[in-house]
Amino acid sequence: MRPHVLRAAPDKAGQSALPADAGRVQPRAAPPSITGRHAAGGRAGELWAGLHLPGINPQKLQQLAVCAQRFTPRVSLAPPDGLLLEVQGSLHLFAGVAGLRCALGSECLRLQVQPVLAFAPAALAALVAARAGKPLTVMDPAQLIGQLAPLPLASLRWPPDTLARLARMGVRTIGAALRLPRAGFARRVGREQLAMLDVLTGRMPEARVTFHARERFRRRRELDCELENHALLLAALAPLFADLGAFLRARQCGVVELECRLTHRHVPTTRCVVRLAAPATDVHRLAGLLGERLSALDLPEPARACELRADALVPYLPGSNALWQPGEHGGSAGNEACGLIERLCARLGSEAVHGLTGLPAHRPENAWAPTEPPPAAGRHGAHPGCSAQTPAAGRRPLWLLPAPQPLSVRDGLPRRRGPLRLVSEPERIETGWWDGGEISRDYYTAVDLHGIRLWVFRERAAPHRWFLHGVFG
Amino acid sequence: MDREAKLARLLEHPAIWRGRSAAHPQGLPSGFAALDAYLPGHGWPRTGLIEILVSRFGSGELDLLLPALATLTRARCARWCVWVAPPLMPFAPALASQGIVLDRVAVVGGARPLWALEQALGSGACDVALGWARPVKAREIRRLQLAAERGRTLGVLFRPRRAAREATAAVLRLSLQPMATGVRITLLKGRGALRGAVDLSRPGWPV
Repeated sequence: MRPHVLRAAPDKAGQSALPADAGRVQPRAAPPSITGRHAAGGRAGELWAGLHLPGINPQKLQQLAVCAQRFTPRVSLAPPDGLLLEVQGSLHLFAGVAGLRCALGSECLRLQVQPVLAFAPAALAALVAARAGKPLTVMDPAQLIGQLAPLPLASLRWPPDTLARLARMGVRTIGAALRLPRAGFARRVGREQLAMLDVLTGRMPEARVTFHARERFRRRRELDCELENHALLLAALAPLFADLGAFLRARQCGVVELECRLTHRHVPTTRCVVRLAAPATDVHRLAGLLGERLSALDLPEPARACELRADALVPYLPGSNALWQPGEHGGSAGNEACGLIERLCARLGSEAVHGLTGLPAHRPENAWAPTEPPPAAGRHGAHPGCSAQTPAAGRRPLWLLPAPQPLSVRDGLPRRRGPLRLVSEPERIETGWWDGGEISRDYYTAVDLHGIRLWVFRERAAPHRWFLHGVFG
Repeated sequence: MDREAKLARLLEHPAIWRGRSAAHPQGLPSGFAALDAYLPGHGWPRTGLIEILVSRFGSGELDLLLPALATLTRARCARWCVWVAPPLMPFAPALASQGIVLDRVAVVGGARPLWALEQALGSGACDVALGWARPVKAREIRRLQLAAERGRTLGVLFRPRRAAREATAAVLRLSLQPMATGVRITLLKGRGALRGAVDLSRPGWPV
């Protein structure tokens, strides 16, 4: 779920506040107004419905938010007990404010919650009015402050000590607080509270996170007979895949992870998870990958039921296809690379494929690390300076042993299936004293009887043992 | 001299067709001029399977391929260079110092090296796939060759020397022997390639 933050564009607000005069240069981004040049009221053309739902639990609030998406796409949660809807564009569809009030009321009734509903041009104003128990309907931004003035300050939910201090000053309503001098208010009460008052009266835009329903796909199918063969299981899953395809198409979404659960008679449920390198919508491809996983799976018992789950949906943007085939005239291989990684990981396990990177370290063991599989698309013409990372060093072998292998010694020279001939000057690597992995070695290139070149080292500390550490190409 | 000139003129006759004169797509320069002269297309084939037979691991077989791998990985829109089931871990700093772009290198481990190699060759996601699987049957070589053609990929399979007696469907088969000053390459099979041996040496190879 990606939070979608709505921000009021300052130039729009500026244009709405000042009448567009032909021939006069408009200040495009007017600073939000401490000077009060902006008319009070929210962004032009916004009308917020605020619902106060005392005593609602979080699940019901989510449910209600999902239901409320029927009225407008801009639904915003105000936990623990508030919900906000931007309804300006929906008024004509639901017979105005009265019709909307009625429709929202019946929606709440269905979920057995009792709402207080207020309409105002600013989101916070609608919410505060609802919290105060006043089912206001303010359509005109100019009337907003007047309507809000009699409401108690407590419905802003400021900290109790702040409210108590203001009450001692005789400030109990929003109107009284708005009449106070701004600088003094900011100093005595707090900048946050001043900003909140500005948001309340619509002087300052408010960033609200739009609610997105968490959607997931779960379908279960009881099998007519118990199945063990993975091909038959895949065939039994076919209708579920068809459902999944329709589900994803309707939402323009893809999945990056798909789970198949197989229920057995006696033993616990078998889970089989397919992870994808890129969001996929093609159910045939998904079915193929799941087939790979199932074929590698050893079922303890025949399956009685199967279930397909896709919990995390991601928006899917279909890319354009290349004109050239990959490998032809420099056609890139984005999709093919993702497909290859997925197939390999599905069959061999996710750790079977990795990339390589060089690290700036002198110790050979620390000079490389496995990484995520490389990106599908190559850098176009750019040559990353991989060699620049590694410190200047002598010739390195192309193969490194996982751990140095001790060599036998005769007459002070190492042996490996016969004596080794040292063909290079020693290269001393002496480092790592700071982290306990201290090494102090003299590395040589050696050639064995068969002409194979090896990278060997001699420990500088007694007993001066010889080790094999790498093999040249 | 006179006879050679006569023979050359005779061979120019359009009715005479020689294997070497068949059109070969431009190959991938191997980095060794002497070897390029022997290979069809003057370089490694860009598509198809190559078999390199070595008596022992580490005889210089990888050194032979490094210039070509560097060229491939540095190309514009380079695809991957996949190493399937290498016997040891390739040492990243050494590859980088040879000019290989590590960003393009992927290592595939685990069981079923032949399956993984076939997938890599046939997927079209790789420029080159190196494999160390063994033992390999002739039929499996044929599958790998077909997969390489399908995916427009260069496949390199390293096999022991005794496999020289088996038939192969690979485009090119050569055996490699370490020598005092470099390696000796013997071309065993190649479409339109000359037969014979080439001695190669490189700075840095042992003396």
